[in-house]
Amino acid sequence: MCKAVYNSAILDVSANSEFRGGGLFAPLCNVLGLSTLILALIVPSFASDWSTPEQDLARKVVAATGQVRVAVTFENRSSLGKRDSDIIENGLRSAMQAAGLQLVADQALVSVAISLSENPASYVWIAEIHPSTGDPMVAMVSTPRPEASGAGESFPLSLRKIPLYARDQPILDVAVLEESSTATRIAVLDPEKLSWYRMENGSWQAEQMLAIPHNQPWPRDMRGRLIAAGNHSLEAYLPGVTCQASAGSPARLDCRQSDDPWPLLPELNGTLAVFPSADVANGASTVVPEVSGFFAPTRNFFTGLLTPPIGKFSTAPKFFSSALLPRENNPLWLFAAIDGRVHMIDGVSDQITNVSWGSDLAGVKTACGSGWQVLASSAGEPAKDSIRAYEFPDRDAIAVSADVEFDGPITALWTESRGDTAVVVSRNRDSGTYEAFRLAMACGQ
Amino acid sequence: MRLFVWRWLAVSSLVLAAFAARAETRPQYGGTLRIATRDVLTSLDPSQEPSHLSTQANIMKLVFETMVTVDQRGRAQPGLAVSWKASTDNRECTLRLRSGIRFHDGIPLTAEIAAASLQTANPSWHVTAEGDSIVIDLQNSDPDLPTELALPRNAIAKRDANSVPAGTGPFRVADWQARRRLLLTANEDYWGGRPFLDSIEIEMDESLRDQLLAFESGKADIIEVAPEQEQRVPFERQALHSSLPMELLTIVFTRDAQSPNEKLLRQALALSIDRTSIGNVLLQGAAQPTGSLLPNWMTGYAFVFSNQSDLAQARRLRDQIQSIPSWTLSYDGGDPLLRLIAERISLNAQDAGLSVRPTSTINADLQLIRISLDSTDPWIALEGLATIAGLPAPAMQNNTVENLYSAEQSLLATERIIPLFHLPIVYAISPAVKNSTLQKDGTWNLADVWLENKP
Repeated sequence: MCKAVYNSAILDVSANSEFRGGGLFAPLCNVLGLSTLILALIVPSFASDWSTPEQDLARKVVAATGQVRVAVTFENRSSLGKRDSDIIENGLRSAMQAAGLQLVADQALVSVAISLSENPASYVWIAEIHPSTGDPMVAMVSTPRPEASGAGESFPLSLRKIPLYARDQPILDVAVLEESSTATRIAVLDPEKLSWYRMENGSWQAEQMLAIPHNQPWPRDMRGRLIAAGNHSLEAYLPGVTCQASAGSPARLDCRQSDDPWPLLPELNGTLAVFPSADVANGASTVVPEVSGFFAPTRNFFTGLLTPPIGKFSTAPKFFSSALLPRENNPLWLFAAIDGRVHMIDGVSDQITNVSWGSDLAGVKTACGSGWQVLASSAGEPAKDSIRAYEFPDRDAIAVSADVEFDGPITALWTESRGDTAVVVSRNRDSGTYEAFRLAMACGQ
Repeated sequence: MRLFVWRWLAVSSLVLAAFAARAETRPQYGGTLRIATRDVLTSLDPSQEPSHLSTQANIMKLVFETMVTVDQRGRAQPGLAVSWKASTDNRECTLRLRSGIRFHDGIPLTAEIAAASLQTANPSWHVTAEGDSIVIDLQNSDPDLPTELALPRNAIAKRDANSVPAGTGPFRVADWQARRRLLLTANEDYWGGRPFLDSIEIEMDESLRDQLLAFESGKADIIEVAPEQEQRVPFERQALHSSLPMELLTIVFTRDAQSPNEKLLRQALALSIDRTSIGNVLLQGAAQPTGSLLPNWMTGYAFVFSNQSDLAQARRLRDQIQSIPSWTLSYDGGDPLLRLIAERISLNAQDAGLSVRPTSTINADLQLIRISLDSTDPWIALEGLATIAGLPAPAMQNNTVENLYSAEQSLLATERIIPLFHLPIVYAISPAVKNSTLQKDGTWNLADVWLENKP
């Protein structure tokens, strides 16, 4: 039977981060600006210092064996990569030699089999010590594992994913309030509050947080939308609740129980929605009729009731999301219905498309391609969700960008107030982190 | 540029014409989920039901909630308690209740009700209400108390003498037939948001064969599958979902060894068992042979305990003893796999010169049993396992992996238990059931599950 050799306690696993919006994305944004392609190449890395556990294990082995000749073998049973395991093996050899052991291949008095193992919280390194005489012994050390981190075909356009903000708690929508080359001030809507953040020294610093009162429990798959209403004021739409945030500093938030319809298009201007930014060069803007939809207060979808009607249609099927494609005669509306189909309503007819999309759509007006694209999430339950841009030269959807992948399901997709970009939120399947990105179209590859 | 784009679009449209299927990714409300299980619930009181049956524990979680939950890394997270604070000696813990919670009968959750519920489930604790908090006083230090509060038996229930206990969970009891059937409906006022499903029907005491037939005929959406049957299921293997190993198949001696000689014989029996053959042939490679109580994924050190058979050494140990007893080995007569394994162990023992006679009667010298680990926290899992196996409570000095190893080693040194295999929990889940992610410990979150609507 083996004897245990005790070592120091496992270090505490790092606490659940309350808020790490800036930690993941902000420094990258600050340093790299809009270099999204470079961002995409950045992979999480953990600059691990293994010296402490190496020395601890070496000390325990020496305590068990004395300063003798030992033959050491190594086996990596953990998820550590070869590079890390090689580094640790070299480190352990050095630490054992420094502790007085003579590492030999032959004529060893003791053989030591070192295994690099792990459990959900820690790396566990185990030395099984077999003296030439006497009982075998076991020595082990543990060190915390790092937190998981979030992070073909030819297409005419490219869809870029620009990190905005991330944290452990849900994010319903993000509005960019100020920006230079990158976002410098944002508002974040979550089920319990509206928060303002400013980018300072590479990380998001909270400016103000205002609670959103609600009498009823929120529905599951909670949704909400933030709309910049001009003069830096904001409107927040949540199931059964509408809020208005003043532009002052500090801001004031007035919320009320309300079944008011949610605007389906951004940047309200009376009865018209304006997409001003796409044709900034010539000063033009695109004007389309505003349409709002009633949201079911205890569910995750729009009831289908529209105001004002789209042509002769005052109702659409119950839907999760919608997108607009302006046409010369009648604007074409796309609705991702809760039965999984996508309906095209142009005011005269309601047609079911033959696309296979997910339930999140957003329309963007850009200077690329035909000028209007629909961003659509993918269908099914893939391990990685994705969004792709489409155009409708006639009534058939054509993919115009490659898939932009996310490390988990899409939980929100809304057109931003400028109209040429969208905000997407996904929940990282590994870390559980909610990650908000801006989706921007780049013309050409 | 535009010319290129539209030429490209024209070509691409041919490819994209193939897109014609319907699909959706955002959850849909409605529908009834049907579950079949071997488990049998005799009571809807979480403190009375053993928590070591996985499906049973999953069912209780639908109706009742715990003060604390445990995340995928085994860390305590808020449940009905929004925060907690332990005293420095870990003998007292104060938990602050989430506000605005109501039981299914409409009565608000109060600290008094929560304290009474925990007191019922843990008579040795001293639980009191203080404002919106409860205070738990323990006789002994327990740094794992928050994680222990996540166990199903510590779920908060409001008990009335004449009715089924009321819970606060995402589903409420609509129909309850003990040992047979449970119908749950969505709790419209659930604090975490109404579940997507309208209802869940649970049929209990269903054999694996009947479950399979129900699944194939579309009468059940979630069924249990024996791990050794994974390779043989008559449907798409994509429907199968496995947990990490959460069950221990083990031999337990019903009494302590009475002499050093008996200890040697028990060691000889452990060395005689050919786990590799049993695992490959009878368990179809679906189980991990083990010499440890806790699985390696949970501790990181399980491989240190040898699980290799050594017939020569077994015979040497046996030859040291003059008088060889004839042991009886009991198994659950309703579990044909256990019968086969017991017979194989008997043959292995015979090869070592030992006598082990399989029997399905209850009174026996040894028992071949399955023990479900009821927590991903290794200390709590080890403690629960020791209780079920009738072993002494593991000595917990401080929460380190080395002490865990030492505690497990001490339990094995009693020679009261011979670990054989760690097995996963396997379910078959209908493709119409969406977001049905099985946690690595075999738990579900059915409040987040939804059913694909038929257009």
